[in-house]
Amino acid sequence: MKSAFKKLRLKNHLLTAISYLIPVVCGAGFMIAIGMAFGGSSSADLTKSFSFWDALSTMGGAGLGILPMIISTGIAFSIADKPGIAPGLVIGLAAQQIGAGFIGGLIGGFIAGWLVLAILKYVKLPTWANGLMPMLIVPFLASFIGCLIMIYIIGGPIGWFTTWLTHYLGTLNNTSKLFYGLMIGVLASVDYGGPINKTVFAFVLTMQASGVNEPITALILVNMATPLGFTAAYFIGKLFRKNIYNKVEVETIKTAFPMGIFEIVEGVLPIVLNDIVRCVVATGIGGAVGGAISMYFSANSKVPFGGLLAIPTMTKPMGFIIGLVANILVTGTALALLKKPVPVDEKEEEEDTSSEAELNMDDIQIS
Amino acid sequence: MKIVGVCACTVGIAHTYIAQEKLEKAAEKAGYDIHLETQGTIGTQNELTPEDIADADIAILAIDVKIKGMERFDKITKMTVPTDIAIKSPNKLMEKAAQVIKQRQNA
Repeated sequence: MKSAFKKLRLKNHLLTAISYLIPVVCGAGFMIAIGMAFGGSSSADLTKSFSFWDALSTMGGAGLGILPMIISTGIAFSIADKPGIAPGLVIGLAAQQIGAGFIGGLIGGFIAGWLVLAILKYVKLPTWANGLMPMLIVPFLASFIGCLIMIYIIGGPIGWFTTWLTHYLGTLNNTSKLFYGLMIGVLASVDYGGPINKTVFAFVLTMQASGVNEPITALILVNMATPLGFTAAYFIGKLFRKNIYNKVEVETIKTAFPMGIFEIVEGVLPIVLNDIVRCVVATGIGGAVGGAISMYFSANSKVPFGGLLAIPTMTKPMGFIIGLVANILVTGTALALLKKPVPVDEKEEEEDTSSEAELNMDDIQIS
Repeated sequence: MKIVGVCACTVGIAHTYIAQEKLEKAAEKAGYDIHLETQGTIGTQNELTPEDIADADIAILAIDVKIKGMERFDKITKMTVPTDIAIKSPNKLMEKAAQVIKQRQNA
C-alpha cells in the first residue's frame, strides 16, 4: 500500500507545479500589490477609462486568477510531460468555471495527467491513424473526459467544501484563530521556503482564492520576519556583546535582509545550514508568535505575495505590523541567546563530516 | 571517478545552488571529478554536454521537481535524492555513489 502510494509521487508532481506557480504569484502579486498600494482597483474595466494603477492591479488580479489553471497544467505536465499541458489547462479552466477553484485545479491536474498516461497506454490505433494520436485522440479525449469528471462529478462537492471551509474560517473565535495562526506560523517558517512551507502556501492560497485573506497574511508575515529576525539577531547579539555570525554569515545577512523585505526567506539558508537546530528553534518560536498575532488581529493582505508591498492592501495593517515586530524581536532574541559566540575574524571551520546525518535509503532511488 | 548531475529545487533560488556547492565540495574532498548542472528558476546553468554524461560513471540527481532532459541519463547509473539530503549529507552521498559504482562494476 505504502509503496503504491509512493509510486504516484504526489508530492513530487505538486512541488513541480508549485515551482511553475511561484513566479506567476510573484510577478502578478507584485503588480497587484503596487497597483493597490497606489489606490488602483483590481476590477477595473480596461475597455473603459482607467488609471495606470488600475491597469496594474487589474492585470495582477487577472494573473492571480489563472492560478487554478497554472497548478493543474503544472501537475499534468509533471505527470505526462508535453501531452499533459493542453488537457491540464482545459481541466483547470473547468475547475475554475464550476467554482472548485484552486483545490479543483489541483485535483484536476492529477486527473488530466493520469488520463493522458492511460490514453497513451490503452488506446491502440491502426498504423495509418497514428498521426491522429497526438493531434486528436490525446488532447480531445483527456480534455473531454477530464472536464466531464470535473463538471459533473467532483467540481460540485469541491465547491461546497470550499464554501463550507470559507464559512468555517470566517466564524472562528479568538482561541481558534490563535491556534491556527500559531500552526501556520510554525509550519511556514521552519523549513525556510522548503517543501513544508510550499505545502502550507498551497493551502493558504486556496483560502485566499475563496476570500479568506488572514491565513496567507500570517504566512507572508513569518516569511518576512524570519530573515529580518536573523538580521535583528546580529544587533541584539551585539547588545549582549556577543558575536553570533562569522564574517561570511554577516555578508549573507546583507543580502538576506533586502530579500526578507520582499518576503523571500531563502536568503538566510546558508546561515541556517551552519547551525540547523538552533536556527530552526529560534525561527519556529518567532513564527508561532508572529502567525498567532497576525491571525488574532485578523491582518488581511489582499495579495498573496509582496512582503512590505502587501501592507498597503490590508484593511487592518496594524495587526500585521505588531505581529511582524513581535516575530522579528522573538526570532532575533532567541537566536542571539541560543547561538554560540564566534570570534569576529574566525575562518570558516573545516566541516566535520562525521556529524552528517545517516542516509535513509528510502530517500534514495538508484536506477 | 567522474560524476555528473543535476540540482533542482521547488523555488529554484536557494536549495538548488546550495546542494550544488555542497556536492562539489564533497566530491573535491573525496577526489572525484564532478560537473553539476543547475535548473533553477533562472533557467539551466552550467549545462552538461552529451560528452560529459557519456564519460561519467554515475549521475547524482538532487532534485525535488521534474527536470528537463531526464532522458539524457537513460544510459548511465542514476542516484536520485531530494535536495535536502544532498545538503545535509553530501559526503555520505559520495561514499554511497562510490559503493554503487563498485557494485555495478562487479556485477
